Amino acid sequence: MNTPDFSEPFDAAIDSGLEWLSENGEFVFDTLNTGLSGIYKAVLWCIAFPPYYVIALIIGLIGWRVIGSRFAILAGLALGLCALIGLWPETVSTLALVITATVLALVVAIPLGVLAGLAPAFDRVVDPCLDLVQTMPPYIYLLPAIALLGYGPATALLATFIVAVPPALRLTSLGIRMTPREFIELGDASGVTGWQMFFKIRLPFAMPSIMAGVNQSLMMAFGMVVIAGIVGSGGLGESIYGAVRTLDIAKSINAAIAIVILTMILDRLAQAAARSRVGEGQ
Amino acid sequence: MTTAKIDTNEVLVDCQSVWKIFGKSAPAAMNAVVQQGLTKTQILQDYSCVVGVSDVSLQVRRGEIFCIMGLSGSGKSTLIRLLNKLITPSSGKVFVKGKDLSALSPAQLREVRARHIGMVFQSVALLPNRTVLENTAFGLEVQGVGKAERYKVAERALAKVGLTDWASRYPSELSGGMQQRVGLARALTADPEVILMDEPFSALDPLIRRQLQDEFRQLTKELGKSAVFITHDLEEAIRIGDRIAIMKDGVIIQVGTAEDIVLNPADDYVAEFVAGISRLHLVKAHSVMTPAASFQAANPDVDLSRLTKTTAGADINELIGLTMNSERDALAVVDNDVVVGVITLRDLLRGVQGIPNELAASPSATVLEPTT
Repeated sequence: MNTPDFSEPFDAAIDSGLEWLSENGEFVFDTLNTGLSGIYKAVLWCIAFPPYYVIALIIGLIGWRVIGSRFAILAGLALGLCALIGLWPETVSTLALVITATVLALVVAIPLGVLAGLAPAFDRVVDPCLDLVQTMPPYIYLLPAIALLGYGPATALLATFIVAVPPALRLTSLGIRMTPREFIELGDASGVTGWQMFFKIRLPFAMPSIMAGVNQSLMMAFGMVVIAGIVGSGGLGESIYGAVRTLDIAKSINAAIAIVILTMILDRLAQAAARSRVGEGQ
Repeated sequence: MTTAKIDTNEVLVDCQSVWKIFGKSAPAAMNAVVQQGLTKTQILQDYSCVVGVSDVSLQVRRGEIFCIMGLSGSGKSTLIRLLNKLITPSSGKVFVKGKDLSALSPAQLREVRARHIGMVFQSVALLPNRTVLENTAFGLEVQGVGKAERYKVAERALAKVGLTDWASRYPSELSGGMQQRVGLARALTADPEVILMDEPFSALDPLIRRQLQDEFRQLTKELGKSAVFITHDLEEAIRIGDRIAIMKDGVIIQVGTAEDIVLNPADDYVAEFVAGISRLHLVKAHSVMTPAASFQAANPDVDLSRLTKTTAGADINELIGLTMNSERDALAVVDNDVVVGVITLRDLLRGVQGIPNELAASPSATVLEPTT
């Protein structure tokens, strides 16, 4: 075996690089850490402050508005169940993590996706990066995050953010690129400016694809937030991780039920929101 | 090439030896065409470039409906897109209202497209997320006209195409014919002088198509608009067009009125197209009549003043009707109270076949027994 001759110095270089980064970039990462945990805490405070039945009622009402009464009742009852099995604080902090990470990811992914859709050159650069991010096992992102940001929700947020960006970016770029040719011609023949072409023609046609991307990002974020229990994300992920370590099957199943409830509610809400946007014209 | 028989006033669209070559090495291919005069096939072999439009010149005048007829692959769709620079010519110039499109800044080009040259597409291209009214007002919206004002204008345009009641519906609720009417209303809303029609009625069923053809022609004439109308259907071109250009392999092989083209096809290709077209409404008395002098020479004993009178513009169908009701087998063609020619039965039959009266070749009206 000759490979270690090469791999040892390579590994050493990576390690020292990371060390150098954490020493010299301390200020940057501290700021990032403070910023991320600050946002997370603010979101968490908003959801955790009211008692559980208020949150269940609010989500039920939203569900009633966008989907229907049956979904609203089921969603409200299911959230009540989360509280009854004693996992309400964990449910709330998972919800806060998912919402924060998804929103942050969308703020970055949608503008970049638009750019990639409009500029093929940029797309050629972004595409392999997304391939890389998406082929790696998601928990890989926990390692550098924990090295640079330490144990806690900021690390979980960063790793979740990284995983949630690609789907929204990809589908936004696809939607922007897929504008039917005759509508581009219509715009040109009507004398539209570049901005008008984007907002009046490309964006409306891209909306279904963008909303599908939002939904996908949300689901990716959910998966990652649970995995991020390992790095002290708090919430249901950490409950499951703790239960796995102590082989507490009952507790792990309780937490799993809460996760499934939360996932299904958010997924249905996001899908319905996407449909109502797209369906305006039908 | 035959001359057009319409009044030659202001030229709105002027296309001067325009070429369009598609492919990666199109500029090199264009140079080769200019310098060595390569043919289409040579360009395809040597440069792997396709010649879409080859040395086309045409003028569209104010108030005129100009049809471009060609089969698929003839370059007609490319040609119409050169007229508003949706496609940039490889060589040659296009002038719209005297402005050279290639010399305009992007803002000026937008201005020309928004105000002077509208377009209607085969696919209609109505935005699915907007109502009929919002779609109709799109051109004005793009120009920054206020909501109240642009909806007022759009409602007027919808009224012209008979869709007032559908203003608040979505395009998916409309039939194909209605959608195409909205497309036309949208083009009219911006009040351009020229409307480019890219096979607008090709996808409609025959009955609706004829109805829309008539409506379109009537509306265009009423509003005094010019139109360039692309079609693969010669009958449609004849119904709608004041002048028709026949296009094949990127080249315009003949331009003229429907009558010109039917009576004097430029080559076998055009002749083949024209073969199936009924002459009854196309061929006019002046094209088939025997001149009065030569008729009198052959039949000195016929009194022309006793024949039923008709005009030089009467078509064969009318002439047949008149002849049937007449006691005599000939009609007198009168222009300014002077008998300029005679339509004999032989002339009528020639008209039905679409052969013009070439005096020299014709043995001319020999048999005619007036029933006096």
